[in-house]
Amino acid sequence: MSIEFKKIDYTYSVNTPFQFVALKQIDLNIEMNKVTAIIGATGSGKSTLVQQLNGLILPTSGQLIVNDFVINANVKVRNLKSLRKNVGLVFQFPEYQLFEESIIKDIAFGPKNFGVPEDEANKIAKASLKLVGLDESYLEKSPLDLSGGQKRRVAIAGILAMEPDVLVLDEPTAGLDPQGAKQMMELFKKLNTVHNKTVLLVTHDMEHVYNYCDNVVVMKKGEVFLNSSVNTFFENTTYLDELNILAPNIIRLKNMLKNHNIDVSGCDDIHSICDKIVKELK
Amino acid sequence: MKIIDAKNIDFSYDEITHAVKSVSFSVERGSYTTIIGHNGSGKSTIAKLLIGLLPCDSGSIHIDGLELSLSNLAKIRNKVGIVFQNPDNQFIGATVRDDIAFGLENHRIDSNLMDDIINEFAIKVNMFEYLDSEPTKLSGGQKQRVAIAGALAMNPEIIIFDESTSMLDPQGKNEINNFIQELHKEKDLTILSITHDIEEVCKSDNVIVMFDGKILMEGKPCDILNQTEKLVACNLDIPYAQKVVNELRLKGISISDNLTLESLVSEICLLSLKK
Repeated sequence: MSIEFKKIDYTYSVNTPFQFVALKQIDLNIEMNKVTAIIGATGSGKSTLVQQLNGLILPTSGQLIVNDFVINANVKVRNLKSLRKNVGLVFQFPEYQLFEESIIKDIAFGPKNFGVPEDEANKIAKASLKLVGLDESYLEKSPLDLSGGQKRRVAIAGILAMEPDVLVLDEPTAGLDPQGAKQMMELFKKLNTVHNKTVLLVTHDMEHVYNYCDNVVVMKKGEVFLNSSVNTFFENTTYLDELNILAPNIIRLKNMLKNHNIDVSGCDDIHSICDKIVKELK
Repeated sequence: MKIIDAKNIDFSYDEITHAVKSVSFSVERGSYTTIIGHNGSGKSTIAKLLIGLLPCDSGSIHIDGLELSLSNLAKIRNKVGIVFQNPDNQFIGATVRDDIAFGLENHRIDSNLMDDIINEFAIKVNMFEYLDSEPTKLSGGQKQRVAIAGALAMNPEIIIFDESTSMLDPQGKNEINNFIQELHKEKDLTILSITHDIEEVCKSDNVIVMFDGKILMEGKPCDILNQTEKLVACNLDIPYAQKVVNELRLKGISISDNLTLESLVSEICLLSLKK
């Protein structure tokens, strides 16, 4: 089981005046059963990168391996459907894609498309809705009557209903209020730890990267700038300074305390930091 | 002096969605006010009511002393600019120049004057060298700056930002936030910003907290952002520094409220010297 990008290039609108190289020589291994954050400035290639993962756009050169599925550039791809069942892709603002008259129909749409009988699809839909934290009373409601955060949950349930091993999300918390965003991130973490999904998510929020992700891939101008564990990434601020990104609050606090000779090394949450501060003050 | 004065404004989208429930508030001229609230609390609806994009079901809105009504709409829109959330949804022109020109043309500004105005505001938002660029060549932050230039070119007295940085990367967000701060200081511009960004709220003069179509609290950020239970109960967050303060108090340390890490750390250092 693996996800590997091998020397992948992607160019938009080849042989037109609008030709634009979005990905350059991407060599990347994504660790399975982990939560990986994909970060980088607007236009750095994050969305292009994740759309390769279910064959929505195909590499102009190079090779992509997702589990036992191989895509070679310029070779006709067969059976993309099996890849798409394996990798669920959630776009930005997925709630705009809800369309059915009831939530159960909307969620069951995907599995039915993959040939699952209606009864079975409805059963899966119920389970998926539960997975995203909404109870059965919602099943017959119109998806359009929900709040923004709830709609997004339903849209994600629609992807989960296809029972993918890999879940890819493009800025899943954009526009949500702080607690809504937190609950969403907790959901992804749960899908990873309890349901063994491999989760990849594009994000701009360093608090989310620090608190919920295992690994981080930094994209810069179409190339992979860095691929490391989250801990290593935040260990020193050189990378962050170079990328012009403000470190998560906890890292900033630790650095400030360190500069004032308060030792907080080894503390990785607010409680342990506060314990050290208390020791310092008593 | 009040530049925005909303009294008992009420708005429903339909029988079920009562978005704004008899809300009253005012904004002082030249102040920087932020509005926070959960998704669906009515923040954006208020913005739309203020510029007359939606009509109030009841209540009244005065902008700079003028009552918002159909006959005053054009006058009011001259006073209020707005920048929305999605940079791609508000770029109308084929180039940056055309985009800034759009509002001016609509206001039948003399075309001899127009070039100077466009140049002035393109320089102001640091987009002068991009005047002839197409929107596809711009980043989200750059597009938002053009949107701000377009709004500024109309010489408004108030600018409303409706989650204008929420779709930007951290750098784009900083850029816009710093720029808004500068504008606020430099001109006598009144700023009303709807946001989820707690850092921005800390820097504002006043904050209004919306909950379920009503105003739950309003006041200075330092008096509002320390109310942990209330904010969390309405789906909001408190500054990280205040979380640390709360935790330290639980552990028996007496420490004052702090909105920023800088002030928190200097207080901790002071306390440590005094022990």
